[in-house]
Amino acid sequence: MRHELTLRIGPATFRVGSAWRAPIGALARLYAAYPDQRGAIADFTVRLQPTSLARRWVRPSIFITGDHGLADAAPMSLAHGLLAAEMGMNLQMALGWRRHLLLHASSVEKDGRALVMTGESGSGKSTLAALLGERGWRLMGDEFALLDLDSGAILPFPRLVSLKNRAIDVVAGAVAADRMGPLLRATAKGDIRHMVPRADAVARMAEGAAPALLLFPRFGHQAEVRPVGQGEAFMRLTQASTNYVALGEPGFAALTRFVTGAPARAIDFPSGEAAFDMVDRLWDELA
Amino acid sequence: MDRMKRYRLDRRDSCRVCPLDDLVLLYHPRSGQTHMVISPVPEMLERMVDGAPVTASDLLDRLARDYDLGPRDVALAQVAAQLEALAALGLVCAA
Repeated sequence: MRHELTLRIGPATFRVGSAWRAPIGALARLYAAYPDQRGAIADFTVRLQPTSLARRWVRPSIFITGDHGLADAAPMSLAHGLLAAEMGMNLQMALGWRRHLLLHASSVEKDGRALVMTGESGSGKSTLAALLGERGWRLMGDEFALLDLDSGAILPFPRLVSLKNRAIDVVAGAVAADRMGPLLRATAKGDIRHMVPRADAVARMAEGAAPALLLFPRFGHQAEVRPVGQGEAFMRLTQASTNYVALGEPGFAALTRFVTGAPARAIDFPSGEAAFDMVDRLWDELA
Repeated sequence: MDRMKRYRLDRRDSCRVCPLDDLVLLYHPRSGQTHMVISPVPEMLERMVDGAPVTASDLLDRLARDYDLGPRDVALAQVAAQLEALAALGLVCAA
């Protein structure tokens, strides 16, 4: 395509092509500290192409596609091109990655052990991981945690952290301005702004950690901790995985090893401060 | 419900079993499906691993060696219903 960039995030390499310069420029700026992959063979190709020939110039409208795509994906405006590129990469991982069990979860690491947090969109898992990453933890990823089928370790996938709506100001107040992307207003998911992970999170993105605690966070509720049985944890993780069924028996073995080896809790929290206290306490008690 | 119906566990339907703290997971390699089960299902399958055809009554006798199952009629109806359900899932087959 006219403009392109090859990026490596964790174990995956993406070639992102675009009919327009702007989305690639935004990606290049925010991923500047990631390994230079020019000329590398990519695992996946993402293409941002006009929905029709005229839509390259007139009210530019992006159709996200690539090695894997959704035929009915909604077109996006060029102003949201950075988000389109990120969504395109997520789509490739969700639909095509087979080398690890892919969990829709955030993860952070301390002392060689990983805290994994999973929940629906809006649960606070992404914001919590971003903030913990500024408080002495290593951010491993805000969206996907990769469970290694042989070692049972969680491997990082530290793409840009995608912050939505209220989370934007909370996180922007905690990190330097040059680590924040442009504010993308009124996307399908509300306002979105991306955050660049800290340099150590990028430098150590090939370094996994054994899962030591699994949390199911839920933002916006009275503080409460509830034990989660291994059966419920297993079921919720299969729902949070995009490739559990495709991986077959090795996926079963890896996921059962995870839920039998790491304690699980559901936490409700009304604020970031409350969540930090709960995470610190549970980590000290259980991990 | 046919209490004389015979079922057997085909060797190719053997599941990978993983007991969790609150239930038992069965991975059925032939279908790629994962099943979440509780007692008496794991105990029933365990007593069918020899592959021999059994009726619900035969299987109840095998279970009764290790467990107190209460009134026989009630237990027999439960075992027969579970066998039928397991057959529907493809975990055991009619013999």
